[in-house]
Amino acid sequence: MSAVPALPLEAVFGAVSGVAALGWALLILGPRRPWVRWLLGGGVVLGLCLVYGVLVMAFFFTVPGGGFGTLAEVMRLFTVPEVALAGWVHYLAFDLAVGLWIAQRADAEGVSRWLQAPVLGVTFLFGPLGLLMGAAVLAARRRRGAGA
Amino acid sequence: MTAPGFDARRAALHIALACGVLALPSLGALALDARQLSGVSVWAKPLKFQLSLALHWATVALLLGLLDPARQGLPLVRWALRIGAFATLVELLYIVLQAARGRASHFNHDTWLEALLYTALMGTGALLIVATTAALGLALWRHPREGGRDAAWLGAVLGLVLGSVLTLLVAVPLASGAIAGPGPWVGGLRSNGAGLPLLGWSTTGGDLRVPHFVATHLLQALPLAGWLLARGAAGGRWPPGRAHAGVWGVAVLGSVLVALAFAQAVAGQPLWARGGGAGA
Repeated sequence: MSAVPALPLEAVFGAVSGVAALGWALLILGPRRPWVRWLLGGGVVLGLCLVYGVLVMAFFFTVPGGGFGTLAEVMRLFTVPEVALAGWVHYLAFDLAVGLWIAQRADAEGVSRWLQAPVLGVTFLFGPLGLLMGAAVLAARRRRGAGA
Repeated sequence: MTAPGFDARRAALHIALACGVLALPSLGALALDARQLSGVSVWAKPLKFQLSLALHWATVALLLGLLDPARQGLPLVRWALRIGAFATLVELLYIVLQAARGRASHFNHDTWLEALLYTALMGTGALLIVATTAALGLALWRHPREGGRDAAWLGAVLGLVLGSVLTLLVAVPLASGAIAGPGPWVGGLRSNGAGLPLLGWSTTGGDLRVPHFVATHLLQALPLAGWLLARGAAGGRWPPGRAHAGVWGVAVLGSVLVALAFAQAVAGQPLWARGGGAGA
């Protein structure tokens, strides 16, 4: 029987949240250089995906009555700290990936960084709402570009 | 019709990388997950399969460098790599899923679904990996580089074809449990807990994973022997004909080793008895 250390869950939570927040600060305030996209997309997002993978592989199926079939099953998943942490890392990883995509599209369409900042800020905190805003900005920009 | 843009080496390398990437979360889970199966962590098996399939496809990528560059896009080569990639990933995903569920993937007949997935999904997947590897060996046999029929090429062809055939011959009795019931063990403790480190082979009885290992790693051993013999021939140390004969010799020797390891396992003898000579 190998000794398995208990995971310091709050420490892991603090670490992944801190790294993600720094990544968002770099995306919103930093330069748009290839290395930034590499660091955020290749480093932070994929690193978070790896943490998610470990947590979900080790703990997802240990939740009695947990699953994706009903709201009650999903809520039961979140009662186990390791799986709730996996869910949080899932948010962090996918929100930042979506933020990178919005920034890339917005740069290509020539959307001002002043307008990008609030859209990306909302994506950081409330992912899908930010994506909705970003999609609206991009659609408006494209329509104006086509009309001019 | 050959597809001119297709790079067979790169395709095989991509399969190896996909297997290797999957090993990363398995390693993390191994450190965190206390659940066990057959006396070892549930993540021991996914990790072993991910690493060995990464090695398998990386070796195939290396050997495809001996293929005629103009024949890289042959339909046989492209389809072998596509099917091999798909079978490899399906196999690994089921092994990971079962480990995550804390259940056995191989030799599992506990529920009708798991029995079906073990025989139909895992069996077919393994068969396809072996068959596509052998098919790539045949492609290499037919289409070497210009003037490339040296001992290294012969070792590569034999490694791909003979390694696959012998692996299949060992895997059928191993996987079916026809010799001593479900599991790789013949006599001794039916657990990996007292097995050799990493490999898990039994130290108290026969273990059919030993001949499987020897047969499967002819894929590395025969090309390596061929490469060394070809180098000696190129350096004038012995004639090329001698090098070819040497490769055939190593192939015969490897087959004999597979047969001996198989006989030893069936006889219920461990390859390595812990504490010295407790096997007999």
